[in-house]
Amino acid sequence: MAVIELKNIVHTYRKGKKETEALRGVNLTFTEGCPAALLGPSGCGKTTLLNILSGLLKPTSGQVLFDGKDVTDLSTEERNIGMLFQFPVVYDSMNVFNNLAFPLRNRKVGPAEVKERVREVARLLDLAEVLGSFPRQLTPSQKQLLALGRGIVREDTAVILLDEPMTQIDVHQRWELRRELSKVQGSLNITMIYVTHDQYEALTFAEKVVIMKDGLVVQEGSPEELYGNPKTPFVGYFIGTPGMNILDCRLAKTGLDFKGFKKEITPELRAKIETYGPDFKLGIRPEFVHCGLVQQKGWFPLKVKVVEDRGEFKIVTLTSDAEELKSQVPSDLAAEEGGTVWVNFLEDKMKIYKDDRMIN
Amino acid sequence: MNGKETMGLRVENIVMSFERNVVLDGLTLDVPSMSFTTILAPTGSGKTTLLRIMAGIDKPTSGRVYYNDRDVTDVHIQERKISMVYQQFINYPSMTVYENIASPLRVSKEKLSQKEIDERVQNIAKLLKITHVLGHLPEELSGGEKQRTAIARALIKGSEFIFLDEPLANLDYKLREELRGELKTVFKGSTIVYATPEPIDALSMSSHVAYLSKGKVIQFGKVHDVYTKPRLREVGQYFNDPPMNMFDCSLSTEGGSARVVVTEELKLDFSKYKGVLREREYVMGIRPQDLSVVQNRVGMISFAASVEFTEIVGSSTTLHLIHRGNKMGIVIHQPEKQHKRGQEIRIFLDPGRVFLYGKRDGRLLIAQGQVVADAVPAS
Repeated sequence: MAVIELKNIVHTYRKGKKETEALRGVNLTFTEGCPAALLGPSGCGKTTLLNILSGLLKPTSGQVLFDGKDVTDLSTEERNIGMLFQFPVVYDSMNVFNNLAFPLRNRKVGPAEVKERVREVARLLDLAEVLGSFPRQLTPSQKQLLALGRGIVREDTAVILLDEPMTQIDVHQRWELRRELSKVQGSLNITMIYVTHDQYEALTFAEKVVIMKDGLVVQEGSPEELYGNPKTPFVGYFIGTPGMNILDCRLAKTGLDFKGFKKEITPELRAKIETYGPDFKLGIRPEFVHCGLVQQKGWFPLKVKVVEDRGEFKIVTLTSDAEELKSQVPSDLAAEEGGTVWVNFLEDKMKIYKDDRMIN
Repeated sequence: MNGKETMGLRVENIVMSFERNVVLDGLTLDVPSMSFTTILAPTGSGKTTLLRIMAGIDKPTSGRVYYNDRDVTDVHIQERKISMVYQQFINYPSMTVYENIASPLRVSKEKLSQKEIDERVQNIAKLLKITHVLGHLPEELSGGEKQRTAIARALIKGSEFIFLDEPLANLDYKLREELRGELKTVFKGSTIVYATPEPIDALSMSSHVAYLSKGKVIQFGKVHDVYTKPRLREVGQYFNDPPMNMFDCSLSTEGGSARVVVTEELKLDFSKYKGVLREREYVMGIRPQDLSVVQNRVGMISFAASVEFTEIVGSSTTLHLIHRGNKMGIVIHQPEKQHKRGQEIRIFLDPGRVFLYGKRDGRLLIAQGQVVADAVPAS
């Protein structure tokens, strides 16, 4: 098990005359046994960072340290890493038992020890019943667990890196695989770093989430912190399903003026933001945007553009014609596309941003 | 032909086999005109195969395809006036976005002036929010922009039938979210057939859903109807995220009552449904969203379960639980406290929210308090 440090990682891809800055100075520490996620949109640099961690790529500059030891120049094999990819990497011609045994036999481990260790890992991964089966007989989820098993069967594995492992897995198997991955992580207390663009996967897996954008770390913290205290509008937008609404507004005498509607604010909030004013960005999550069919004091009217049924609730896209935002409403709210609803935001759930920084 | 034409798309008794592998096994489906119909099924079930047959890219081994009552099975795809969008954002690499979108109009039989073409391209680009990249080449675009371009190209023809094969599959989570809301509005005026393994696509965007299994459509209807009455266990389980909880149970008829028993603690008095309960074994389904950690209704039954895994995403928590070997999930909105692995908690279940399925045939007998009409066995 290892403490992993990334120091001042910079990486630039060069193709002929074309240069792409993939990582622009990343500093991160992953503590032992803490499940972590690198989360961000395509092109943010998370895959490049993963490849640097695994040894597939050498950074243009910067260091990778495992337990204080500089491994920047070491190959993947020398780093004792297990990896899970989008496509399960298993040997189709070997059964489950032999797949798991392979890394041990490679190290010349004796048959009795191999048998014991394989059985133990299979039990942990709920693969004990299928030791005699071949990969083609397994579900995609089981194949990924087998790939994971091959990584953890060697007891000197320092870290498991997961590169969007759920990509080929259907919705229902993801439900099971999330549980299995968490179980393995918890039992072995192994350092696991999960790379994804899916915020749901990141938030359910990790205790430490690192959000990246354009080659830099934007915010790192627990899922709760990132959800409740997004430091920049981007983080607010990226975390949450749907993400935070980010609205342009201006401080006026009566409150905040948005594009097409107004909202009053308390003197306390005004005092906090006045000095930075008058233009701000307001972040408010759809679940804190309240909708009703009856006018109430302080509520403002908006038109319903789209209603998305999610089964137990609905996501409504509201518009003032100049601005759009989303609201999460109970499934029995009779909001019709084209109709009008009365809307309000909870003031204590509003995040005010100025120049990409949270100020309240 | 009589005056009452069946508008829409019909596939009748479609069989599609590749060598010895039968992918579609006598599939019949009527897609209503102007509907947004989702073909929902796990990966590998034959959705793409079906879509390709509907569009005319492939000919079925047997069976017929009708567009508005006209048999088009032998009509070549070029003659069919349809559009298709694929997973892999397919655009002409050497043409600008503008030219990509304009291209179907340039080869169309409608002779359009440059001005008319320009107007249509600008309108579609605005609708799909890609006006700012009209002058770019596809390789310069992000994944989302590439797919929007492909969708614009499909839309501009004004085809009556548009087929989409998991168009969001290769896009980031966030982009998928954004496009879902938009796709719902951009396709008005056409009949849409959309293939996906994601229940949320069916729920968010569609008017109708067809669930595909073992080469046939096993349930088709309006989204709300299929969601509230999933007629087969497989559909009930699949058309929910997290999957609907399913428990094997048996019927106990002691003392003239009818109890459906999962375990000693988890059992329901279904005496009022005695008439339809003729078997010994059943499967009880309850949505994770319908379980609760508080007793907020009269008549709820309760049982103890231990927490295997906690998923906290924003203001809702999903717990993976286990009760006497029965695995299940529960979704709690705005939970008051944290739950730890191994913790024992009390779970409440409202019998009025339960789906009861036959064990042998998986057929829905009782749906959230209502007996399903054709569930009453002939006596």
